[in-house]
Amino acid sequence: MAAQWEEPAPTRQERIQPDKSGRVLVIPALVGCIVALTLGIYGRLHSPTGVAVDVIGFSSPGTVKAWLATVAVLFAIVQVASSLVMYGKVSWITAPPWIGTLHRWSGRIAFIFTVPVAVHCLYALGFETFNLRVIVHSICGCLFFGVFTVKMLALTRKGLPNWVLPVVGGLAFGLLVVIWFTSAFWFFSTFGVSK
Amino acid sequence: MKIKTPIVTLLVGVALAVVLLIASMSAVSAKKAALAAASASAAATVPAVTTSTAASTAAASGAQSASATGSASAAASASASGSFVIPPHANYDGEVQGNLGAVALVVHDTFAVAYFCNGSTIEAWFSGTPDNGKLNLTGKGAASAGATLTANYALGHARGTVVIKGVSYVFSIIAVHKPSGLFQSIANVRGATIKAGWIVLADGTEVGSLNPDENAANAVSQAAPKLDLSTLTANDDGTTITATPIDGETGSGF
Repeated sequence: MAAQWEEPAPTRQERIQPDKSGRVLVIPALVGCIVALTLGIYGRLHSPTGVAVDVIGFSSPGTVKAWLATVAVLFAIVQVASSLVMYGKVSWITAPPWIGTLHRWSGRIAFIFTVPVAVHCLYALGFETFNLRVIVHSICGCLFFGVFTVKMLALTRKGLPNWVLPVVGGLAFGLLVVIWFTSAFWFFSTFGVSK
Repeated sequence: MKIKTPIVTLLVGVALAVVLLIASMSAVSAKKAALAAASASAAATVPAVTTSTAASTAAASGAQSASATGSASAAASASASGSFVIPPHANYDGEVQGNLGAVALVVHDTFAVAYFCNGSTIEAWFSGTPDNGKLNLTGKGAASAGATLTANYALGHARGTVVIKGVSYVFSIIAVHKPSGLFQSIANVRGATIKAGWIVLADGTEVGSLNPDENAANAVSQAAPKLDLSTLTANDDGTTITATPIDGETGSGF
């Protein structure tokens, strides 16, 4: 019996023509909007408790959060650097084979470090508007998790326009840095660097 | 179908958030329960502390647990008044209405200290005894003579009125934790007692006044020099003065 012809299974190497219209982004973008809005509305409506879980070894919840956020920003810098190398933007470094792993794991670690900070913010402090720093911080904090969701969901889509990942990733990094400047940096410069 | 790794990342984040949220909720309810239990047992074993009938229900329900545990620490004599939980140790601060100044209240067991200042010429120190969530404090020292502060406080919040030289300031303020709170400095320089106070608000803003001679009735207060919160020192015209936190939660300054 003659071997039946089989269609080859699709592989990751296969080029898929990017869809210029960006239609594949509609659902990730909608989910991202829902995430950002949910966080903001919860933070605004829930009455802040002023209390959450304490972490042993730190003097106050504020210092814990400032340090966690700082660690997240450091890993986010690794994110930007590794993506520049991946996209071949750093001419004097050839992308090593492990660059993708580095990029994925630094991102995962950075994200996991932001989660406890966000939970404490939303549960204990809430979405507040009493001065410019706090307004900017509250809005960017909600947007960050929306943008991050868009990035994660976009990664699972095939045929993304080429600009999507750099733009969404850059936006997430920019928001994280603004959040850090309006919280951890402010905290350290107001109250001093302490544990 | 194989679940893609970015989705796993998101789900792990959501799961961690849910776990932390539940832990936070139980931490808050445990704190409330501990305060309510402490109040009930304190009311049962130390009747002199709590005489209000509002706490009698809590006292009756807590009597059994108090006799079972045997020792109710007087140091944790909180009170439950109706649905309000009265913390035994707390700091509150915030601006008074109309942005005319800031006020700080510090409660530690049977002592209460309060301070009002406008970051300039008007300031007053108060002291007194908390009474089941109520404060009736009077001005402390020559400079604050005649001033009064009345307030109600509960877990997370306090409201009341300060009267200084016939002017009232109304406030509704929140509980704060270090590094926010009340700071005081007393220094003897060339025979005069320099007394300064700083209120660090929840947003990190500092409001402070300094009395150049605490014991002189006619001394005029002025803006306090900026307090460096990492070293707790301030520079008053070349003299370094050191501040002490007055913190109801740790008992510092009492």
